Amino acid sequence: MTVNQIVDELRATRPTAGEALRLQVLTLASAPPVTSPSLGDRLRGRRRFLLALPAAAALAVASAVAIGVTRPDATTQEASAPATSVEATRSIGAAQAPSTALAGPTADASTARGKTTPGPVPGRAQRYSASLTLAVDDTDALSEATQRALSIARDLGGYVVSVQYATGTEGAASLTLRVPSARAADAVTRLSGLGTIVSQNVQIDDLQESLDTLDGQLQRLRAQIAALNVALERADTAAERARLLERRAQAQAQLSELRASRAATAEAARNATIQLELRTEEGSGVAAPGSRLDRAVDKALAILAWEAVVVLALAVALAPVALVALAVWGARRARRRREEERLLAAS
Amino acid sequence: MTLEQPLATRPPASLAEAAEDHLDDVFGYLLYLTRDRETAEDLASSTFEKALRLWSRFDARRGSARTWLLGIARTTALDWFRSESRRRRREEAAALSERVEESFVEGLSPELETALASLSAGEREVLALRIVLELDGDATARVLGISPTAVSTRLSRALKRLEERVNEG
Repeated sequence: MTVNQIVDELRATRPTAGEALRLQVLTLASAPPVTSPSLGDRLRGRRRFLLALPAAAALAVASAVAIGVTRPDATTQEASAPATSVEATRSIGAAQAPSTALAGPTADASTARGKTTPGPVPGRAQRYSASLTLAVDDTDALSEATQRALSIARDLGGYVVSVQYATGTEGAASLTLRVPSARAADAVTRLSGLGTIVSQNVQIDDLQESLDTLDGQLQRLRAQIAALNVALERADTAAERARLLERRAQAQAQLSELRASRAATAEAARNATIQLELRTEEGSGVAAPGSRLDRAVDKALAILAWEAVVVLALAVALAPVALVALAVWGARRARRRREEERLLAAS
Repeated sequence: MTLEQPLATRPPASLAEAAEDHLDDVFGYLLYLTRDRETAEDLASSTFEKALRLWSRFDARRGSARTWLLGIARTTALDWFRSESRRRRREEAAALSERVEESFVEGLSPELETALASLSAGEREVLALRIVLELDGDATARVLGISPTAVSTRLSRALKRLEERVNEG
């Protein structure tokens, strides 16, 4: 008997199910499903995994876009505005810092407006010095910002010490303003709004100690002069009278010097000096902040990059576990296959 | 290009339709595997019970209903072989051969029937799938969980052995 004859005979005698079995199976198969497939059933196994991957990617992108759109400024500020530093060089009394400096470039003028600008402590004599560099769009904006700076100084009861204004391919203006110390912080805040802050420096020196020392010296000198006047009235000889007059003249000269010194110190504490530099964008050396859309895209990309780093870290961390699980799965599958082969070979 | 598939390859709308089309295939396969008509009928019934529970998972894009049902039939048969093996080991008696009918396929010549009985279940199942049910190599490979090349090799060996046994007798 040849192989072809065997094949023909096998095909010719193909088994068929008996009527009883057919009836039983068809009755069984016609019944409604035991349970309706749940969502979990429908999405099980590889299909669920294949669906989960794009779903997770879509969620990551959507969250990045959502955060980028709703908080476009956060990254810009964090990236370009270093932490503002406040340094106290020496202390006086329990809580008062005599010299405090605050400096730092800020890309967004809003960060410098109002709340972050320090001011003199009320009730203490302090010299307040601030320097501010701002970038403006073009020469027109430069002119307007200069005018508004002068106006701000006047509005706050101050005055302009000097103004230098120059325009060409790039424009720049340099203003020295003096405003009452009590309104210095307000002035810096308002001036900050005239452009994009490139750099800002605020210096506060405490002068109260010097003033107190000068007052003490003045008081002692006045007492000394009064004592000299009394001694002059009681002087008996011309020689003694001449010596007392000379001492009184020296004391009065010292008193004048001390008065002038005190007046200068009080004047320094009374008015703050603000040095304002205005430059057009080209000359500022700082890129202008992009549009809201650009910042939103930057923010979204930054978040996506962060998400990618997290996913990569997770992949690196879980890779050994996944490899072991894969090896175990493969070994179990191979073992089951061998067991089935043995079972079928032995039957 | 037609939007509808040909009738022969169109996936069944229900398990009842699939059972109508493929019950003979499932039964024939199980009969060749077990060499016992009664056992094959029991296993065929169990196969469709399982199929009813799993019908919601059937995906026509991943294979035909016939292949899917034969895969369930194979799993059911392997479970049966395992339990039989345990039972035989436990009782150390009542060998399977005692229950096997002399003629498990109607119409086969006695020498071919004897030769088939001498083959292993693994050899009989590849003959059943490829020769009797005329499944192609890929579908057979899917049912057996092996590569199409392995199917060809296994079929070639089984046919050669069957030919030898037939001609020996």
